[in-house]
This record gives sequence, C-alpha cells and structure tokens, in this order.
Amino acid sequence: MIVPYGHVLMLAGTLFALGVVCTVARRNLVMILLGVEIMLNAAGIAFVAAALRWQRLEGQAFVLFIMAIAAAEVSVGLALIIRAYRRTGSVDEDTYDLLKW
Amino acid sequence: MPELYYLGAAGILLLLSMVLQPNARRDFFIALFVAAFGVPVAVASVKLSGTLFAEAYRVDLFSQVFKVILAGGFFLVVSLCTELEGVEERHHLEFYLLLTTSTLAMMLLVSSVELLTIFVALELSSYSLYLLVPLRRGYDTAVEAGIKYLLVGTSASAVMLFGFACLYGVIRTTRFPEIIQVLPAGIGQPLATIGLFLALCGFFFKLALFPFHFWAPGVYQGAANQVAAYIATTSKVAAIAILTRVVSLCGGNGEYMAKVLVALSIASMTLGNLAAIRQRDMKRLLAYSTIAHAGYVLIGILSLSQGGYAGAIFYSLAYLIMKFTCFLVLVKVAYDGSDLQIAQLAGLHRRSPLLAMALMVGLFGLAGIPPTVGFTGKLLVFTAAMERGHFALVLIAMINVVISLYYYLLVVRAAYLLEPDEDLPRILLSVPVTLLLWVLVLVMVAAGIFPTYLLQAADGAARALVGG
Repeated sequence: MIVPYGHVLMLAGTLFALGVVCTVARRNLVMILLGVEIMLNAAGIAFVAAALRWQRLEGQAFVLFIMAIAAAEVSVGLALIIRAYRRTGSVDEDTYDLLKW
Repeated sequence: MPELYYLGAAGILLLLSMVLQPNARRDFFIALFVAAFGVPVAVASVKLSGTLFAEAYRVDLFSQVFKVILAGGFFLVVSLCTELEGVEERHHLEFYLLLTTSTLAMMLLVSSVELLTIFVALELSSYSLYLLVPLRRGYDTAVEAGIKYLLVGTSASAVMLFGFACLYGVIRTTRFPEIIQVLPAGIGQPLATIGLFLALCGFFFKLALFPFHFWAPGVYQGAANQVAAYIATTSKVAAIAILTRVVSLCGGNGEYMAKVLVALSIASMTLGNLAAIRQRDMKRLLAYSTIAHAGYVLIGILSLSQGGYAGAIFYSLAYLIMKFTCFLVLVKVAYDGSDLQIAQLAGLHRRSPLLAMALMVGLFGLAGIPPTVGFTGKLLVFTAAMERGHFALVLIAMINVVISLYYYLLVVRAAYLLEPDEDLPRILLSVPVTLLLWVLVLVMVAAGIFPTYLLQAADGAARALVGG
C-alpha cells in the first residue's frame, strides 16, 4: 500500500470537516449546497481509501454511485434554489425566516 | 412483486403527465386505481423470499410485511387527494408520480441488505420528497420548507455516507449478512463505532429523531396537507424498518449502542412532547408528536430482542393508522388546502360528528389510551424494554405519555367543547370517505382489543429479521 490508510482517512476527515463548516456557516443557499457536495466527495475519498486498504472493488463502485447521486441531488437542489430565487429575489439565507426553525 | 408494479406505475404516470391535459378528477382516479391495485399486489407477495443482485437485495417476511404497510399507507394518502386544492392542477400527475417513486424507493429500502442499496433507495425516496414539499399553490412557506428540507436532508445523507465509509474501512464488506459476522467483534475499534453512529444519523433524520428532528415542524407546516400526511406516515414506517434492520446488525449485545439510543429516545420523546404543548398550528403539533413517537419506537428497537423488534413493527403499523386518521380529519376540515389552526377545529362535533369522533379516537390512540391500538403498541414496546432492564427509560416514557395526553386533549377539547365565532357550515363527507373513516376507527379499536392477527404478522417479521 503506497499511502497508509490512516493518512487518507485523515484527509477525508479534514475535507469532511471543511464541508461541515461550509454548510453550517450559512450565508448563502448555494454555499450550503457546496458544503454538502464537499462532504459527499470527502466520503468518496474515504471509500476509495477503504477499498485500497482491503483490496476490494466495492468501495470503488460505491464512489461511482455517489458521484451519480450527488449529480442528481445537485440538480434537484439547484432547481429548488432557482424556484426560491424567483419567488423571493434573493439567495441570502436570512430572507428565509417565515418558518420558525 | 410490488416494486416492479410501482416501477411500472411510475413509468405510466410519467408518460401520462407529459401527454395528458390536467384534469383533477381524472388524475385522482388514475392515481387511486394505481394505489388501490398496489395493495393486493403487495399482499399477494408476502410469502416470497429470496435474494437478488448478488445478495444486495433480500426479500423476506420482514421486508414483505413492511411493503404491505407501505402500499397501504400510499393508498390511504392517495385517497386523501380527492380535492387536491393545495397543489396546482397542472402538477397533479407529477405529484402522484413523485408519491409513487417515493413509495417505490421505500419498498426498495426495506428490502436492502447492503449499504449501497440502502443509500440509493434512501436518496431516491428523499429526493422525491424534496420535490413534493414545495409543490404547493400559493404558499411562500412551501418553497422555504422545501429548501430547508433539502439542505438538512442532503447534509444528513452526506454524514451517513461518511459513516458508511468508516464502516467499510473497518469491516471490509458492505453486505449485511457478512457485517453481522464481523461487526460484533470489531465494534471495539473507535472507527467502527463512529462509522455506525454516523450511518445511523441518516436514518435518524428520516425518522425525525433527536438531534435531527428540527426539520419536521417547518416542513409539515409548509408542505401541502397530503404531502405532510405522506411524510408523517409512510416515510416514518420506512425509516423504522431500515433502522430496525441496521440496529439488528449488532447481534444481541450492542450495549454501548443501546445506551446511546436510550439517550436519544429520551431526548426525542421529551422534546417532542414538551414542544407540542405550545403549538397552535395543527400540522406543527402533529410534527412534534411524530418526533415524540419516534422516541417511543426507538425504545422498542433498542431492546435488541425479537420481542422489541416485533413491538416496533406493530407500533409502526399502529402509528400509521392513527396519524393518518388525524391527517384525514385535517384534510377534510381544511378543504382548501390551508394550514389548519387548532382553534379552527372549534365546533367540529356539530359540523361533522364522524370527523370529531375519528379525530378523538386517533388522538387517544396516539396518546396510548386503552383500548386503542396505540395502547397495545406501547404495551409491546415497553414490555420489551423492561425485559432488558431499561426501567428508568420506561418510567420516563410513561411520564412522557402523560405529558402528550395534555396536548392531545387540547385538540379534542377544541373539537368538542369550543364554539366557533361564527357559524361554520356542516362538513359533508362523500360515501367513500365516510366508509374509510368508519373502517379506520373500527380498526383502531378492534386491533387494540384483539391484536392477535397483526401481532402474528409483526412477530413473523421480527423472527425473519433475527433469524435471517
């Protein structure tokens, strides 16, 4: 194994944490969606690392599925954001306060 | 098999939605026929068993029982859509299409025994719901609820996926039968525990369990009434099924897991019940009650025994019927698709005695008053937990039942004792709806007194889960 599993997992974990920060520090709807994308890709990296550790292909297949599903999710998310933008005129997260969290 | 049927139905609905001119009555009858035909298809395939796709997909009694419940829930929710005032007419067929795909995905979910299959099915059902929530006429809250639901939901999915990755890194397989053999030994490693917990977070989100419950009130309030009914009933049943399957992976000795689930269950019940007291909007109240009931179901699941799983399955069916009855009353009273305030229920016993009685029986069932089926469900779940020694948990749960009785009685009081400011007209119910209401009330009471048949089904399902 060229790269130790722990190192790649740390990379994936750091990337995941960055994604969480990007999602939670909400200023803009598109940024929240970007944070989710980063988290999904971090999980993908973790899967590839695990697949390399155990020398099996299920992890790699999983990553292919993750990428396809992330694409579908982004399309759904952006469609919703566009609809919200047309209704309210802004993608700022603060304007969406009709519902009490 | 029911999945193939719903896949075909979704395809037909898709074609119809592109070709036909919108016509609310005809669309409703198409959807009703599709849903009604799905229930016998699901019931006919209860005895099937086998595995597909290199054991990624298992059909056993556990999954088939849940598919029957899901098909029934889908049919009930479609029967709510007689006058789909909350959704624009040209969107009706797409509305039914999204409901069908969501049901299809949930059926795939309860049959999944591999992490990838779970993920794909979960995402499919979630995306259908993300699209259904903003599909509401005239309400800005709907779009906002949809956005919030989507963002929280996808974050939860991403967290779950990372959990799957950690699990896969420790246990070198994604298939449940092999995970069962490897996980109890490997649970000592921190990565495995983290992975399992993160993975469960995705299911906690779908079940609206603390700490991923905060989307529920806003989404229920913002979505159209029928969509809220679907999310509250059918979606929760699927979440309970998959949570049961995943938790049963631990074998019988996941002590640490049980402790974590105990804490979450207590938090969920208490928070749901306390927050529901102050609600004025009926759908938000039902949302918080959903959060509390997620806590009750978790008590059954965390007892990690066959009796506990059977109790959880029985509770999920009972919960479906009771919650659906409440939403049926809500849809009929707020016939123009608006958000129902509790004060608007005033004088319901004069406007429609049948609706008021159904509401009362449904709410008493949710509270757990004998002889309704809700009491039987709670009895099963609590005894299963007591057998494993969780005395404090059951005590707290009973206190929560008393608290929940307060806000359920508030609603019943509004329906029976309050008088409206101006005279409101009588609510006329069509014959099918009257029939449905009577059937629901009778089932709720009869299944509470004679639960044998349903109990056998739940027991068989749990046995298939534990033995398989």
